Amino acid sequence: MSGYAAAKMPPALRELSGRAAIVGLGETDYDVDYKAARAKAPGYEFPTPESLARTAFERALADSGLKRDDIDGVSVSFLYGGPSAQETADLLGLKPRWGVETSGIMAGPLPAACAAIAAGECDTVAMIYAVASRAIGRKYGGKTFDGGGAPLSYYYHHPWGWSSQAAHWAFVWSHYQSVYGATEADLGAVAMQLRENAMVTPGAIMRTPLTIEAYLASRYVVRPLHLFDLCLVNDGGVCLIVRRADKAAGLPHRPVVVSGWGESKVKGDKLDTLVRKRLAPQMQDAGRQAFAMAGLSPADVGHFEGYDAATIHLISQLEGFGFAEPGGGLEAFKRGEMRVGGKTPVNTAGGMLSGSYMHGWNHVAEIVRQLRGEAGERQIAGLEASLFSLAQTDQVHPIVFTRGTQ
Amino acid sequence: MAEAAMAERRPDRTRGGRHDEFWAFCDQGELRVQSCAACGRLSWPVVDECEHCGSPELSWARMSGRGKVVSWCSFEYDYYKGTLPLPYDTILVELDEGPMFVSNPKGFGFRDIEIGMPVKLAFLACEDDGGPFQLPVFERA
Repeated sequence: MSGYAAAKMPPALRELSGRAAIVGLGETDYDVDYKAARAKAPGYEFPTPESLARTAFERALADSGLKRDDIDGVSVSFLYGGPSAQETADLLGLKPRWGVETSGIMAGPLPAACAAIAAGECDTVAMIYAVASRAIGRKYGGKTFDGGGAPLSYYYHHPWGWSSQAAHWAFVWSHYQSVYGATEADLGAVAMQLRENAMVTPGAIMRTPLTIEAYLASRYVVRPLHLFDLCLVNDGGVCLIVRRADKAAGLPHRPVVVSGWGESKVKGDKLDTLVRKRLAPQMQDAGRQAFAMAGLSPADVGHFEGYDAATIHLISQLEGFGFAEPGGGLEAFKRGEMRVGGKTPVNTAGGMLSGSYMHGWNHVAEIVRQLRGEAGERQIAGLEASLFSLAQTDQVHPIVFTRGTQ
Repeated sequence: MAEAAMAERRPDRTRGGRHDEFWAFCDQGELRVQSCAACGRLSWPVVDECEHCGSPELSWARMSGRGKVVSWCSFEYDYYKGTLPLPYDTILVELDEGPMFVSNPKGFGFRDIEIGMPVKLAFLACEDDGGPFQLPVFERA
C-alpha cells in the first residue's frame, strides 16, 4: 500500500446497503480521563492521540474476536491532529492494504469504509478516532477560530463579538422560543433526560442527577443557553471494526449492519437555514437518501442518536427527521417519549451532553450496544433499527443501522 | 483625535482583498454586500465566489439599512479574553434585501427585543489592530 487518500463520501446507493457490519467496538475510559484531567492530580499525564488510539483499538480488536492480521484496512480520524494512517498502522502493528485519513467527525468515514469493503479493496477496517481536546486546551470560539475548514460563520464576526459553536445554537434557541412560545424550563427537560440516560451508562462522564432547579441556576455561556445546554469537552478515543457482511457472522457479538446513509450540505443562506429552517430541508433530503438506501422507513426505527452539540440542536434533529412535529420536540421530551420505554428513545448513553464528546462516534458506539442487545439496564426492547444523525451548522449525515444475524 | 479616543476596542476584523473593500464602504457610511452578476443573488459574509451559484462575477450592492431582528444572543463567556466587556449582546438581522447580518444592537438590549422588530443601520466608531473603523450596528427603526 502506498500513500493514503482522504476519505470520500460514497453515494447512497441501494447496492451498497448491508455490505458491511460493525463487529468490534472499543472506547477509552471517558469518565476516568475526565476526572483525572479536571483534578490535575500530581503526575497526571494527559492522554495523547496515540495513547487513546491504542487503547480504543486494542479493546475493539479484543471485542471483535478477530486477529490482528485480519485487519486489512485502516481509517484514521484525529480531529485535532495525530499520527498519519501509516504511522497509526505501524503503531498498532497493522499491515493494511487500504487506508484513509478523514476529517475526524462521524460525517463520512463509515460510509467510505463500507464502500471500500464493497469494492473489494479490503475486508476488515479498523476505524480509529481520537481527540485530546481537553489536553490541548481547545476552545470553541474567539480568535482561535480563524478558518481552516470551519464554516465561515465561525470566525467572520469577530468585530461584533459573535463567535463559537454555542452562539449558533443560541440564535437557534432564541428564535425557537419566540416562534413556539417555549421556555428555558422546557429546554431543561432535554438536559435532564440525557443526564438520566448517562446515569445508567458505565463510562459516561456526568452521572450525578440534574434537577430543573440546578439546570436553571447554572450559568449562561451564551444566553439564553445555559452551561448544561452545551456538550462536554473531554479527551477520548473510539475504534470500530467494520467487516465484510458475509464474514461478519460467527464472531463473539451480533453484527450491526450499516444499511443506509445520506448527505446534505447547505450552500448559501447558511444562517437563515440554520436559525429559521433549523436544517429541516437538509434532514429531510439526507434522511430520504438513507432510508431509501436501507429499504426502510422512519417508522422502522426504534432508536435515535443525534448530534447533541446543544440541547436545542437535538430538538432540531428530532423534528427535522420526523420523530416529533415541528415545535413539538420539547413537549415530546417532557411526555417521556424520548426515554427508554418511550416511543423513540434518544441518545440513550447520554450523548455528548452528559456522556462523552466524541463527535458522533460515541453515538455510533451506543447504537452498536443497543442493536447487539448489550445496553444493560437502558436496553431498548425488541430493537431492530437505529438512526444516527450527524448534523453540524451546515451539513447533515444520517446513517441507518440494523441488527444483523450472528 | 477626540473621536479616535472614543472608539470602542473590538476583536480584529478579517482583512485583505475584498474584506478591505467592505470596510472601506463602511467608513463612508455605506453597508454593501456582494451581488452576483450571474444569478443576481446576494452573498454575505464576503466571499470570492457567489455563495449560491459559485460565480466569481461579483459587485458591491448598497443595502438600504432596513431590516428586522430574527434572533439574539448575549455573551457571558469571555471568548475574546477581555477585549469586550461582558455581558454583551448580539443580534441576527434579516436585511430587507435578504441577507442575514450578525451585528450588535445600539440603544437597546436583548430584553427589549421582540423577534421581528424593525431596525435600521447605524455606525459605531471602533478600532482594532488594523486601526479605526466604522462598525455597522442596528438601532430601533
